[in-house]
Amino acid sequence: MSLVIALDIGGTFTDLVAFDFATGEIRQAKSSTTPYDLSVGIRETLVKSGLAIAAADTFIHGSTVAINTAIERTGARVALLTTTGMRDVYAIGRGSRPESYNFLFKRPEPYVARRHTFEILERLNAAGEVVTPLDEAGAAGVALKLRELGIEATAVCFIHSWANPEHERRVGDILRRAAPETSVSLSHEILREYREYERTSTTVLNAYVGPKVAKYLGDLESLLKGFGFRGKLLIMQSNGGGMSPEMARRVPVATMESGPVGGVIAAAETARGLGVADVIAFDMGGTTAKVSLVRDNKPDIAQGYLVGGVGHGHPVMLPVVDIVEVGAGGGSVAWLDEDGALKVGPRSAGGHPGPVCYGQGGTEPTVTDANVALGRIGAGRFLGGEMRLDANAARAAIERVIAAPLGMSVNEAALGVLRIAVAEMSLAVRSVSVGRGHDPRDFAMVAFGGAGPAHAAEIARELHVPRLIVPRAPGHYSALGMLLADNRHDYVRTYYKRLEEAEFSDIERVFDEMVGEARALLESEGATPGQMAFQPYLDMRYAGQEFPIQTPVETALIAARDRGLIRAAFDGAHSKRFGHQAVDEPVEIVNLRLTATGRRERSSFPAIAAGAPGSPSEYRDVVFDDPEKPARCAVYERESLRAGQVVDGPAVIAEYASTTVLYPGDRLEVAPSGDMVIRINAS
Amino acid sequence: MTADIKLDPVTLEVLRNALPAIAADMATDLQRTSYNMMIYEVQDYCCALLDAEGRLICQNIGGVSHFVADLGVVVKDAVARYGKGGFRPGDVLIMNHQRVAGQHLNNVCVYTPCFFNGALEGFAIVRAHWADIGGMSTGTSAPGLVSDPWMEGLQLNQIKIVEAGVPDEKVLGIIRDNIRFQEASMGDLRSQIASCEMATRRFDELFTRYGSDTIHAAIERIFDETERKCRRIVKSIPDGVYEAASFLDADGADKNDVIPIRVKVIIDGDETTIDLTGCSMQRKSGINGRTLAGAYIAYKGLTGPLDNVNEGSFRALKVAIQEGNFMMARYPAPMAAWSRGLPTVVDTILKALAPALPNTIPAAHMGNLGGSLTFYGVDSATGKPYVSQTIEGGGWGGRPYEDGVSTCVSVCQGDVRNSPVETIELKAPVRVDRRALRENSGGPGKFRGGLGIMTEMTNLLEGKWSLSNAGRRQCPPWGIAGGGDGRASVNYIRKPGDDGREPFDPVRTQCAPGTSVMVATAGGGGWGDPLERPPEWVALDVAEELVTIESAAADYGVAIDARTGALDAAATESLRGKMRAARGAKA
Repeated sequence: MSLVIALDIGGTFTDLVAFDFATGEIRQAKSSTTPYDLSVGIRETLVKSGLAIAAADTFIHGSTVAINTAIERTGARVALLTTTGMRDVYAIGRGSRPESYNFLFKRPEPYVARRHTFEILERLNAAGEVVTPLDEAGAAGVALKLRELGIEATAVCFIHSWANPEHERRVGDILRRAAPETSVSLSHEILREYREYERTSTTVLNAYVGPKVAKYLGDLESLLKGFGFRGKLLIMQSNGGGMSPEMARRVPVATMESGPVGGVIAAAETARGLGVADVIAFDMGGTTAKVSLVRDNKPDIAQGYLVGGVGHGHPVMLPVVDIVEVGAGGGSVAWLDEDGALKVGPRSAGGHPGPVCYGQGGTEPTVTDANVALGRIGAGRFLGGEMRLDANAARAAIERVIAAPLGMSVNEAALGVLRIAVAEMSLAVRSVSVGRGHDPRDFAMVAFGGAGPAHAAEIARELHVPRLIVPRAPGHYSALGMLLADNRHDYVRTYYKRLEEAEFSDIERVFDEMVGEARALLESEGATPGQMAFQPYLDMRYAGQEFPIQTPVETALIAARDRGLIRAAFDGAHSKRFGHQAVDEPVEIVNLRLTATGRRERSSFPAIAAGAPGSPSEYRDVVFDDPEKPARCAVYERESLRAGQVVDGPAVIAEYASTTVLYPGDRLEVAPSGDMVIRINAS
Repeated sequence: MTADIKLDPVTLEVLRNALPAIAADMATDLQRTSYNMMIYEVQDYCCALLDAEGRLICQNIGGVSHFVADLGVVVKDAVARYGKGGFRPGDVLIMNHQRVAGQHLNNVCVYTPCFFNGALEGFAIVRAHWADIGGMSTGTSAPGLVSDPWMEGLQLNQIKIVEAGVPDEKVLGIIRDNIRFQEASMGDLRSQIASCEMATRRFDELFTRYGSDTIHAAIERIFDETERKCRRIVKSIPDGVYEAASFLDADGADKNDVIPIRVKVIIDGDETTIDLTGCSMQRKSGINGRTLAGAYIAYKGLTGPLDNVNEGSFRALKVAIQEGNFMMARYPAPMAAWSRGLPTVVDTILKALAPALPNTIPAAHMGNLGGSLTFYGVDSATGKPYVSQTIEGGGWGGRPYEDGVSTCVSVCQGDVRNSPVETIELKAPVRVDRRALRENSGGPGKFRGGLGIMTEMTNLLEGKWSLSNAGRRQCPPWGIAGGGDGRASVNYIRKPGDDGREPFDPVRTQCAPGTSVMVATAGGGGWGDPLERPPEWVALDVAEELVTIESAAADYGVAIDARTGALDAAATESLRGKMRAARGAKA
């Protein structure tokens, strides 16, 4: 193993991070994303990196092709095949109105037309037994019709196929024989869990984005081939793991939310390197801030999400790194509403025109302008001095839009803008921690993204998070995380029974099947048995409840048929999350889940040098809590810091694409890894 | 005293977001831990913080909308009864008494007082629909079946079930012993208490952080701002007195007359009065309530449907309603079906405003809370009870700019989800034969009404079916601006061995295995003249099988070739010409 490359396509930048195992060297490159043809930006970034791509063993890639195809509705012409009587399950959905006071609400716009939805005569019951045999001749007739209609991809979702996939499988064969050039998505291959609408929606989205993702992967493979690359290509998934391109072609919907997961994986690994198990990952960019929880060095995973937003989004019930996003970023615009109430975001000035201080024509003050006005971000050193920021213009805009109408000083107004942004982000941090039964005092916060390190100390204060970690390369953190990701595959099978009545031999058989499937897949992706790990879970709830808790249960406990310990694990999880439990009530199992991991060799930054501590490059006035009493504050260049060096706040640490702000009382220590570990209110 | 506090706009904005976040978190916790589908699927609950005067600080959004801002009366009554000094930290109270709460008894309020520095600062409260509350049925019922509150169930009148942290086991025992499905309801009670306790802690954190004067000042400001925003929107509506009438289906208990709904909306500058005094007086059937929800839901939808709800949301609204009106019924009056009339009241208020807001107001929607199918019984082989229940949506009215939404629950129901076919079949011996769009049910219009649903199920073991007749059959969802009515709802049953099906509304009706039942929910009304609907749209509706070829011709004047499905433009033009001429002749 020598060279590993990760390439992340974000909305603004295409980022590359590479690690050379032979030399321990890390390489980074960045260029603009080219939305009209992503391969242009990829090529440019590869060239810019100067790496010998041909020599790389592994190339890890994350892109937003799937999600953009879904949001922009530029996917394939899709047909849907359903059980008799269930043609409209997809159009009807769950029939709910989350915007309950809005009589002009919208519903999700289906990705399949009703005239392209066909019923196939067949029926199973909930036990998976055949009630009505599959009408194969009818299915073959429909298959021919799909060809006439020019259908490019077909989704098949039959009632209770989670219990018995045989009918779906046979229809899949018929469709593939009739039209080998089109793609077929069978619901049980995507998601073997009950609830037909959610499974149908997931399967339809898979079909809808499939052809585009397949074409994109083909383009990427030939582009890499053009560079002489012969190593292994891995594609990032929403669950934070990698997978082979073959798998990505089969389950393209699994890449849907892979964009922001890299940073969370990196945060888990940075923390591991520092001997910290539980962290809050805090990623603040230009438009939004994203918060997620890492426990025991594993990102929290949610079993599903909505594509297109709450209220009218399409459910995808696949595991996803659980990220809470709020509309507060460096570019978020500060404004007054009709009642004179001060608001920040959710609208962003974006990269262009960007904040007022960029001098590119922006006129509305932003969070970044407030930072510049208060001296927290240095006007002269932005992007390593590539861009000069206009502090006077930032102050003037704040004065005009906010300070004057509210009768405040500019500093007061700028501080207010930051406090509102911080409060909103704190609510997001609170919702992933306190909101799920975790005390923020037990966590450290890892702050990254261009704007994260500037605001993290204040959020940490607000929520009594005692420790803050600013990792190396916080601006390239997402690509870095991909470099560190393991391969990962998640499996689910609905198994609905009271714990008391559960047949452990059945449970073991299902787990064995899932492990067998996972092992073969991991093997095909090059994992050795020693690199594989399998974690079983039981989704359980009290009988009568609807929402189960995914509870990890060791294989040994299942082998021992230890119902007592299994329920104790569930009682404990319920109590932790909701503050109460019901030890006398029957518990039921809903789903069996398995997470299979293929560990990859970890890259790690070379340690940084110890030695004579770096000294401040300048001193400037920075406003902290008191708007009219700026503190004289030391400013350090991050590259000048040495391992073991201690810096006491107030202080500012500037680096290429980010600035870390230490409050009075905070104490920073540089770890040998180069990560900055900050104790909040240390003194 | 609070007026003197100088409140900085930043703290204000922080609190403006932090307070509703507490109510939202209460709702999440309740829903995730509850034991009854009325809470976790139907979301028949509300969570709120109120101040010590009973004014609404914040309430969750997304649940059943007819609970909007209706908890104040409960807390005001409690303060009047116990006095402000009559509560202690650790108290938990329970209340469903109709004298004040004015809803069916299943809607049980559980609340805890919140203190700061020894002073009573407010209450955290959760109202949730319990699966059962005793009485002759399960609390809810068809309107004609119960005639007083004692038949309806257990009446809990501001009872302290926990005093200073000590549960009153005697009272809890009485409650447990007098309801069916004890596990479910006692589990829901636990969830309600845990939600309130969580909110009490969060409220305390905010007070500790910002101080009581600041919080009080902020709350006043938030109320004022909310009120101002509502007034600003109302100011843009032309002044006038707007009236409309409709009716509810006959309820049988009094006589077979329909129940009149007459509303008057007075817009005067930024003031709104919704006058409901023309609606029926209280009835012998259970459709009575004590609620302003009909007026509140309509007003909220007009003045900021996506904004948070607080005391300011309705300060610029006057609701004129007299004691003894069926929506302001005097105790004791049966209230088992208390919310049944509300969707029609909302529809009628909107209808009144259509001339004032021609670009906003849609045609009428399905207009009831129904489309519900319940099957329950005991599996004689295993001795185990089973129950399955689902609520199926209907069509919404066409809008002045687009077609109505299909198969969605009513304006009084928010994030109410139907039960998945696979869940129903996992939980009960039932086969779902069909869940489909109801062709031709949308009212014709330039913008067509949304479609209703047709759901058909067969029981595999003997058991009892209930299919609600939720009303609006005699007064189907109306069209607006020349649009046609949506098709009314109907329920059917087919006994094993029968060929045909017949209209029937089973209520806890014992049915042999193999009995099929079907719910067909109403379609929405159409908006605008159907002859103005572009023929291509009608052709697409035919291709999508939402409208039949016959309806395309008869209702829209659009000719479609039955063999090819192609639009016949010339025939359409002539057909539409004839239809217009016939109208002229009639007029």
